[in-house]
Amino acid sequence: MNAMNVVNIMEALGYSVVLAPALLLAAIGVPMLIGIRLSERRVSSLTNFGVAIGLLSGLGVLITMLLTGERSVPISVGHMFEIPQEHFHFSLKLLFDRLSIPFVLLTFVLCGVIGAFARAYLHRDTGYRRFFLLLSLFQLGMILSSVAGTIETLFLGWELVGLSSALLVAFFQDREGPVINGLKIWVVYRIADAAFLLAALLLHHLTGGGDFNAMTGQGPWPFGTTEIDSGHVLLVGLLLLIAAAGKSALVPFSGWLPRAMEGPTPSSAVFYGALSVHLGAFLLLRISPLLDASLTLRIAVVLLGLITAVFATLTAHVQTDVKSALAFASLTQVSLIVMEIGFGLRYFALCHIIGHACMRTLQLLRAPSILRDNHARENDLGSRLPEKPSWITSMTPEWMRTWLYTWALERGGLDTMLMNWFVRPFLAFFYWSDRMERRWTAFLSSDDADTAADDVTKAEV
Amino acid sequence: MPQWQKFGQLSSRRDSFIELDLSGWPSPSSEADVVPHFTLNSNGRVAPRATQPFWRWVPFRTTVASAKTAGKQRPIQTAEMAPKFSWHQKCCAEVDDLMIDVDRDGPCNGTTLVNTATSDQPRSAEHYDQATEAMLTQIRDSILKAAELLPSQGPITGFAFLNPLQGLEHLPMSDALRQVKQIYHCEPYLSEDRYRQYVASGRIGVEELTEVVDEDLQQTGSERIAGLATRRELRLHMLQHPLHTGDARELAWVIAETEALQSFLPDTSPVVRERIISETQQWVSSEQAAGRNPDHIAQLAADSSESWEHACLNHLFHTIHQNIEQVDITAPVVSVSRPAELLKQIFHIDCDALVHQELITFCAAFLDQGFAHWRLPKRDRGFFAAYCSIVTANQRSAKRWMKGLAAEIDRIQAARLTPLQVIQESLQLLGVTVEQQPDFLRDSLLALRGFCGMLWQNEFRSDRVHFPCPKDTLVEFMAVRLLLDRFALEHLARNEIKTQLPLSRLQDWLLDEQQQRHQERLNNTEQLAYTIFQIAQFEGWLPQQLTAMSSDDWQALADEVRNFSDHERRRLFHAAFERQLVRRTLDSISLRAALPQVTPAAPELQVICCIDAREESFRRHIEETNPDVETFGTAGFFGIPMYFRSAGDAHFSALCPIVMKPQHWVVEDVVYAFEEQHNSRARARRAIGEASHRLHVGTRTSVLGAFVSTALGPLATVPLVSRILFPRMTAQMHRTVRKFVSPPAITRLRLERSPNVPPGPTESQIGFTLDELCAMGERALRDIGLTETFSPLVIVLGHGTTCLNNPHESAYHCGACAGNAGGPNARALAVILNDPRVRRRLAANGLDIPEDTWFIGGLHNTATEEITFFDLELLPTRQIAAFRAARELFEEVAQRNAHERCRRFESAALDLTPQQALRHAQDRTENLAQTRPEYGNGTNAVCFAGRRSRIRGLFLDRRSFLMSYDSAQDNNTADILARILGAVIPVCAGINLLYTFSAIDPAGWGSGSKLPHNVTSLLGVMDGASSDLRPGLPWQGVDIHEPVRLLFVIECSPDKMLSIMDRNPAIDRIVRNAWAQVATLDPVTTEIHLFRDGQFVLYPTTESKLQMATSSADCYRGHRDNRPFSMIGEA
Repeated sequence: MNAMNVVNIMEALGYSVVLAPALLLAAIGVPMLIGIRLSERRVSSLTNFGVAIGLLSGLGVLITMLLTGERSVPISVGHMFEIPQEHFHFSLKLLFDRLSIPFVLLTFVLCGVIGAFARAYLHRDTGYRRFFLLLSLFQLGMILSSVAGTIETLFLGWELVGLSSALLVAFFQDREGPVINGLKIWVVYRIADAAFLLAALLLHHLTGGGDFNAMTGQGPWPFGTTEIDSGHVLLVGLLLLIAAAGKSALVPFSGWLPRAMEGPTPSSAVFYGALSVHLGAFLLLRISPLLDASLTLRIAVVLLGLITAVFATLTAHVQTDVKSALAFASLTQVSLIVMEIGFGLRYFALCHIIGHACMRTLQLLRAPSILRDNHARENDLGSRLPEKPSWITSMTPEWMRTWLYTWALERGGLDTMLMNWFVRPFLAFFYWSDRMERRWTAFLSSDDADTAADDVTKAEV
Repeated sequence: MPQWQKFGQLSSRRDSFIELDLSGWPSPSSEADVVPHFTLNSNGRVAPRATQPFWRWVPFRTTVASAKTAGKQRPIQTAEMAPKFSWHQKCCAEVDDLMIDVDRDGPCNGTTLVNTATSDQPRSAEHYDQATEAMLTQIRDSILKAAELLPSQGPITGFAFLNPLQGLEHLPMSDALRQVKQIYHCEPYLSEDRYRQYVASGRIGVEELTEVVDEDLQQTGSERIAGLATRRELRLHMLQHPLHTGDARELAWVIAETEALQSFLPDTSPVVRERIISETQQWVSSEQAAGRNPDHIAQLAADSSESWEHACLNHLFHTIHQNIEQVDITAPVVSVSRPAELLKQIFHIDCDALVHQELITFCAAFLDQGFAHWRLPKRDRGFFAAYCSIVTANQRSAKRWMKGLAAEIDRIQAARLTPLQVIQESLQLLGVTVEQQPDFLRDSLLALRGFCGMLWQNEFRSDRVHFPCPKDTLVEFMAVRLLLDRFALEHLARNEIKTQLPLSRLQDWLLDEQQQRHQERLNNTEQLAYTIFQIAQFEGWLPQQLTAMSSDDWQALADEVRNFSDHERRRLFHAAFERQLVRRTLDSISLRAALPQVTPAAPELQVICCIDAREESFRRHIEETNPDVETFGTAGFFGIPMYFRSAGDAHFSALCPIVMKPQHWVVEDVVYAFEEQHNSRARARRAIGEASHRLHVGTRTSVLGAFVSTALGPLATVPLVSRILFPRMTAQMHRTVRKFVSPPAITRLRLERSPNVPPGPTESQIGFTLDELCAMGERALRDIGLTETFSPLVIVLGHGTTCLNNPHESAYHCGACAGNAGGPNARALAVILNDPRVRRRLAANGLDIPEDTWFIGGLHNTATEEITFFDLELLPTRQIAAFRAARELFEEVAQRNAHERCRRFESAALDLTPQQALRHAQDRTENLAQTRPEYGNGTNAVCFAGRRSRIRGLFLDRRSFLMSYDSAQDNNTADILARILGAVIPVCAGINLLYTFSAIDPAGWGSGSKLPHNVTSLLGVMDGASSDLRPGLPWQGVDIHEPVRLLFVIECSPDKMLSIMDRNPAIDRIVRNAWAQVATLDPVTTEIHLFRDGQFVLYPTTESKLQMATSSADCYRGHRDNRPFSMIGEA
C-alpha cells in the first residue's frame, strides 16, 4: 500500500466521520423544514444508519492509524477567511489523534445507544422528530468539537452542542419550567462562550491563526509544547478554563446541571451524564500543553476541580430525587477528572472520562428503576438498606451540621450568588446605560431639558 | 373606659424592625399578660415619615387603640385586630413612640397584649385559651376539610386507584365538575374539538345529542327565544356546528381581513343561504316600494351593489353587534381567594414559583424515605420546627425575597407561637377575613397539591411508609407556606408592582384592579356578537327579523347563548358520548342474555380469575379454546386481606384493596428439607446485595467512584446495549443466573396460628385461626356462586405484571391487592380449600367440595402471559393428567390473548401471528426503554356482576370488569350481593374514574408524560428537576382510554339494588350522585333497568339483532380502536 493511498483513505474516512452526522442532520431536518412528516420508523432507521456509518469511519481511521503508526492526522478542509499578508487565517481543520479518536468513538456509541433507546421511549410523543433532530444536531456538534484542529472549528461544534442542549432542556415547550430552565442554561453557556471567544481572539492575535498546533506545539497530543510565552499562556488558559467551567458545570456555574434534567430521560442521560458535561474536560485536555507551561494555571485548574468536588459531593449527599443526585454524582466525577488533568494525568483522565460517560449513561437511563432496584436490593439484604451515617455527619461538629446541610440543600447558594453578584449588577449597568443614552439623545435632540427629564422618568416607569 | 398608658419606647431601629422596649411596663397585672418584646415590623426600611408605612402587626388578638405621634396624643378608633383593621393608615406620620392601650374593661376580654412566652401563669393561659381556642380550632378544621380534596394517592409503590375527586363525591358529578376548573384548574371534560371529531367519526350520533338535549331541557326546550327559534333548536345547532371564538382582537381581525362578511360559513346549508338572500331582497324591495328607506335599508341596498350575500352578512353582523353592545352581559367575577393567584392573572407575576421552589425542596427532604444519604436534621421535631432550623441555620445564601425570614422565625420562636397561631397571624396579616378563611386555606393547600397530598397521606395512613409524617404535619405545612407567601408577596408587591400598600390590603386592591380591567367586558361583547353572528347564519335568521327585535329580545338571546356556555356544551357532548356506549352495551348484553345460557354440565376445569378487565379476554379465550371449562371472576385478593412476606423478601406488603387495612400477617417458608440450601443462598444474596449497594453508593459519591467508574465504566455499555437490543435474551440470562441464588422452589405458606395468640408480625403471631380460614374459604366460594358441580381441578389465578424502568409499575399490578401481584392470595385460597379440616366444616355448612377436587393457586402475568403455579409438589397423582391438559390450554390461551392485546400497540404490526404476538408482548416487558409494557385496565368501561352463563361468548373487548354472582343462591335481602358490591362498586368506580380523569386532562389530573419523570423521595414522581409531585396515571397509560363513567350491569332486580343502596351509604353516594352508571339485568327475564335521576327505569332495547362473529380474532382483526360487542358463535 503506498503512502499516497493511505493518506487518501484516511482523508476519506476522516471526512466521512464528520459528514455522516451532518448528512443525518440534513436528512431529518430538511423534510421537517419543508413540511414532510417522516414516520417514526424512518427517522430512527436514518439515525441508526448515520451513527453506524460514522462509527465505522471512526473505527476505520483508528485502524489505519494503528496500521501505519501515524499518531496525528490533520485534515485541512480549507480557510474560511484568510489574510496572507498578515499571516492571518480562519480555517476549518480536522485533527485525528489519540484524544479525538476516543471521543469520536464514544460519541457515536452513546448517541447510537440513546437513539435506539429513544425509539421506543419516545414512541407516539408529539416531539419524536424534534428529539431526533436535536440529537443529530448534538451529535454533529460533539464530533466537530472532538476532531477540531483549530479553535474556531472547536467553537463551531461547541456552539452546536450548547444550542441543542438548551433546546432539549426546553423540550417540553408547553410547560413553563423547562423553558425557563432552558433559557437559564443558555445564559450560562453564553458567559462561558464569551470567555471562549475572547480566548480564540487572543490566540489569533498571538499566533495569527487558531490552529491548536500553533498553541500547543507540533508534537502529537499529549506531547506538544507550547510556543506562547507564559504570561499569555496564563491569560488564554484562564479564559479557556472559564469556558470549560461553564460547559462542565464547575463552580460557580454548577447551578444549571440539575436544571438540565427537564428534558426526556434519554437526553438527560446523553447530555448531562455522558457527553456534554465532559466537553469542558475535553477542552482542558486539548490545551494541556498550555498547562505544562504555566504552574499558576495548573494550580487554578486543580483548585477549581477541588472546590467543585467538595461542593458536588456535599450536595449529592442531600439530594432527594434520583436525577439531581445523579447530576451531582456526575459533577463529582467531572471535577475529579479536571483535577487529574491539572495534575497532568492525561491518559488516566481520558480513560476516566470514557468509563464515567458509559456508566453514567446507563445509570441515568435506568433512573426510573430506582424503586424496583432498591426493593430488590433490600430483598437481597433481607433488611432495609443500611443507613450508614454519612462521613460528613461523623466528621463535622454538631453546630456545623445543620448549617452544612442547609448549604448543600441550597446548592451552595450558587444561583443566588450568580444572580446577586453577576446578573443584577450587569442588568443594572445596562439599564443605567440605557437611561444615560436616553438622556443624551433627548438632550441632543431637544433644547428643552424638562422634556428630557420627563422621558427619563417615563422610561423608568 | 379605656385608659391610655405609655407603653414603651422605640428602642432600636434595625434594618427591618422597630422593636419596642417594654421593660418599663408595669409587671403583668392579674388580668392580663403583657408582651415584653413586641415587634412592629415594617417591610424593608423603617420609614416613619413615609406617607404609608407598611406595618406588620404581630401579636394577635390585641386591641390597639392609640398611636401617639410626636407628643400629641391622637387616639384612633379602638379597633379589634380584626382582618379589616385599618389603623396603619392613620398612624402614619412621625411615629416617635407608640402608645398602646390596654383596655381592661372593654367589650372583649382579650384586649390585652398576650405573650405566650409568659403565659405560663395559669389564669392568663386559661384566659387566652378561652378566647382564641375556638379560632384556632376553626382554622384547623378548615385545613383538615380541605385535605379531603387533596389527591388520595399515597406512595407510588402502592398505587391507589381512587377517584381523584373523592372529596367532592358527596355532590352530583355534574355539579362537582362545574367547580373543578376553579378549584383544581383542571379540565372537567374533553375539549369541544375532540367531541366534534367524535361527532364526525360517528362515535357521537345526532340521535344521542338530541336525546341528551331533550332530557337536559325537559319542558323548557320548547320555549321560543326572541321569537327566533326554540331553545332546543338553538342548543342542538350550537352543538352541531363548530363555533369559532377567540380574543376580541383576533375576532376583529377575522371580520376585517377574512371572508367572514363576504360569504356564508361553509357549514351553512345552501337552502338557508338562498332563503336569507332572497327574503332580504324582497324585504328591501318591498320596503323601498313602500317608500320607507331608513338607514339600514339604504345600507343594504348600497352593499348589494357588491353582492347580496355580502349585504346580508354585513347587515346581520352589524345589527347583532350594535344590539349586543347595549345588552347587559356582566358576568359574575370569579372569586379568587389568593393574592398570589391574582398577581398571576393580572400582572403575570408568579409568586408561587418562588414559594414552591423552596417548599418542594424542603417537602421532598422531609418526606424522603431514605434516598438521600444525608437525612434532614431535626426531622423528628416536625415540619415546622425542622423548617425553622433550616432557615435560621444559613441566612447567608437566602434568596432576596427571603431576607428577614430568619429574623421573623427567631421572633416566632422567641414568642413560642404554635404553628396554628402562626397561621392565624399570617391570615391576619394577609387580610383574610373569617368568611374567606376556608376558601383561602383550601386554595393555599391545593396550590401545591401533589406534595400536600403526600404529606397528608403519610400522616394519616402512616402504616404505608417507613418514615411516616407526625401528626399535624399538614397544619405545620400551612404555617410555613403562609409565612413564605407573606414574604414572597411583600417582595413582589414592593419590587415588581411598586406598591407600598400593606399586605392586608393587597388582596382587595388586586380585586379592584381585576374589576377595572375592561378587557374582559370588551372580550365578552365581541365574542358574543361573533357567536350569535355564526348562529344566525346556520339558523337562517333574516335581517328583517333581527332588525325587528326589541331590546328585551336581544337580552333574552344573549342570555340564552351565554348560558349555553362552553362548559355546558361539553357536558352535553360528554353525556351523548357516554350514552352511545351505554346503548350499545346494554343492547348487546340484553340480546345476549336472551339467548340460551351456556354452562358446561360437567366442567373439565374451573378457573377463578380477578375481576380485572384484562382477564375478560383471558377468560373468553379459555372458554373459546375449550368450551368445557368454566370461569369465574372475583376481586383479586380473593377475600384474604393480609400482610405478606415471601421467602426472598425483606418486608411485608399489604395484599388487599387500598381502602382496607389488613389485620393478619402471612409468610412464606422454605420447607425444612431445603433449609440448609435456603440459608446458604440467602447468604449469597446478602453478599450480592451488599456489593450492589456499595457500587450504587460508591459510583454516586466521590473518590472511590472515580476508580470504579474508570475501571468498570465501559463494561456498563454491555447491559445497556443488550437490554435495548436483545431484551428477552438478556432477561433470560439474568433469570438463569439469578436462579442459583433464589430461594429454593419448594415453599409453604404459613397460614395458621393458634387461636390463643392475637395476630401480629412476630413469629408466633403469623397466620389466621382455623375459624377465620374456614370463614374466608366459604365466603370466597359463596360470593361467586361456586357451591356445586366442582370440576376435578379448580385453578385460582391472581395476577401481576413485569415491567422494567417504570416508577408506575405498581399501577399495572392487581388493583385489589393495593398495587401488588395477587399470587399469594390465590395460593392461600387454594391451600385453605384443599385443607380437609376446612372442607369438613364447609360440608357441615352445606357446601360440599367433592373429595377428588383439587385447588391450585397461580399467578397470571398480564404482561408476559406466563402463569406460575404454586404448591405443585402437593398435586395428587390422579390430577396430573388434568393439570397437564390445563397447562396446554393456558399455553394456547397465552398466544391468543397476546394476539388480542397486541392490536392496541401501535408498534406491533396488525398482521402478527399469535406466536409472534406473544413474543412481541414478552419483548416489550423486558425492554428498558418501553413506556407501555401493557395497557393495564386502560380500556375499562363496563362492569358486569352476574352469572357468566348469561353473557358467555360475548366479545367485550377487554372493556369489562367481570364479577361472578348468582342471585339464585342469594337470600331475599341479597346479603351476598350487598357485600360483593360494597367492595366492587367503590373499587371499580375508583379505577375507572382515575383512568377517566387522567385521560380527560393528562397534564392536570394525570401525571403527564412519563418521559421527564423523576423519582423523588422514593415516594412519587416529579416532572424534571423540580415540580410538584405528580399523582395520577401517566399519559402513556391512558392514551387509548375512552373517558366514560363505568357502567355497572348487575344481575338482580331493581328493588334489591335500591335496598342495597339504602343500606350502604358508600354505594348510594356513588350511584345517586352519578359517579358511575348502574343498570340491573333481571335474573329471570332479560329486562334491563337503568338508573336515571334517582330511579330505575326500564331500558328499551334499540337493536333487534346481535352482531355475530366466528371467533374473538374475527371481532378485532385489523383494528386498533374499540370494537363493537359481538357474539361469538354460529349465527
